[in-house]
Amino acid sequence: MTRRLLGVLLATLGCSLALAASPQSGWNEAYAEKTEALGLRGDLVRGKGAFIVCRGCHRADALGREDGSYPRLAGQHATVLIKQLTDVRSGRRSNPKMLPFADHHEISVQGVADIAAYLQALPVPANQGQGPGKHLTRGRQIYEADCATCHGARGEGNAEKFYPRVSGQHYRYLLREARMIRDGMRHNANPDMIKAIRKYSNAKIAAVSDYMSRLAVDRP
Amino acid sequence: MNNATALFSMPFTRVLAVALPALTLFFSTPLRAADAQEIVKTLCSACHGLDGNGTDGTKPKLAGMNRDYLLKQLIAFASGKRRSEIMSPMIATVAPDDFPGLADYFSSQKPLPGKVRNNSLAAKGKSLFEEGNTDSGVPACAGCHEADGSGSARIPRLAGQHQDYILKQLANYKNRKREGSRLMFTVSQRLTENEAKAVAEYLVGL
Repeated sequence: MTRRLLGVLLATLGCSLALAASPQSGWNEAYAEKTEALGLRGDLVRGKGAFIVCRGCHRADALGREDGSYPRLAGQHATVLIKQLTDVRSGRRSNPKMLPFADHHEISVQGVADIAAYLQALPVPANQGQGPGKHLTRGRQIYEADCATCHGARGEGNAEKFYPRVSGQHYRYLLREARMIRDGMRHNANPDMIKAIRKYSNAKIAAVSDYMSRLAVDRP
Repeated sequence: MNNATALFSMPFTRVLAVALPALTLFFSTPLRAADAQEIVKTLCSACHGLDGNGTDGTKPKLAGMNRDYLLKQLIAFASGKRRSEIMSPMIATVAPDDFPGLADYFSSQKPLPGKVRNNSLAAKGKSLFEEGNTDSGVPACAGCHEADGSGSARIPRLAGQHQDYILKQLANYKNRKREGSRLMFTVSQRLTENEAKAVAEYLVGL
């Protein structure tokens, strides 16, 4: 009886894992390196060592720069980090500035998993770069209407669905990336996201980015 | 019967057979270190100095560099992975067994501070070393080389290094004369000539 129950449990687990890793349309397809990295167990200590090549830009604490030139990585979901890093390495997300530092000759697939585990566990202080603060009410309305469904009421994102945490992120980074997604310049973007903000004006993007940049990371 | 009494009850030749290899093993480390100093005197010191601080600005300062990093470079010169018209023929005369001793020797020497000639240039270099250039995508050097420029087993110490040597290596990376780090190739391409000079001016005083 116990064995049968265990079998059912394992089968259910297998199904849900298969669902989580099932190939999704274009933006999040299951290609070999990403699937491999997602399946590896990340090691925090090794991750800290492998992250050394990233520190020159993302800083030793992985908090990026307040001017948004480099995003915060601390506290981001490991799944999101793995997707974005492998997307950059495979050219799905074009980032020529970063690629020479993140390519295979610098970071192994195991290294990707290790770095992601390390970053996810880092503390996220609430001193990120913020916007001018003039249209926060409007920003909140926009966020709640269009963004919260996926990115969460508190900007916490969704690790299983590869939706990034937006809380604790620098305003100027959110602003730049949202514009790039709207304009079709971020090629690995979720089509639902593009659809949601396709008609946004720059002012609307600025207002919602400002609101998001003030969401604190409230995890245990 | 314990091991000591067993040793005493053995015939003398058998005792020797056990003791000799043990004694050789015991003395091999100090002998190796003495060898290293001899090799440094006859082969390395003309350029690197007996204290490893380099005899002029074009000869790299090795004093205080990470031991494993030095060892890796010696092996790279020997295998031809790192090329140098000067170092390659020199290294060919040294037995690979002596590499660890040489690495130990230079890494345990005391690095002497270099001379900053232009303070305002050095200040620009400090900013680049610590912050990088976000527009051109030059990372902060400190990210890998550590805030005090002390490096690690994987990454060379830069603190106190001669300006001319730093500039030469950056040029070598850029012209692909020095390979082995695609990361540094990228950095050398993105650095402007003035940025390279500034960072070299800062490092010599670090």
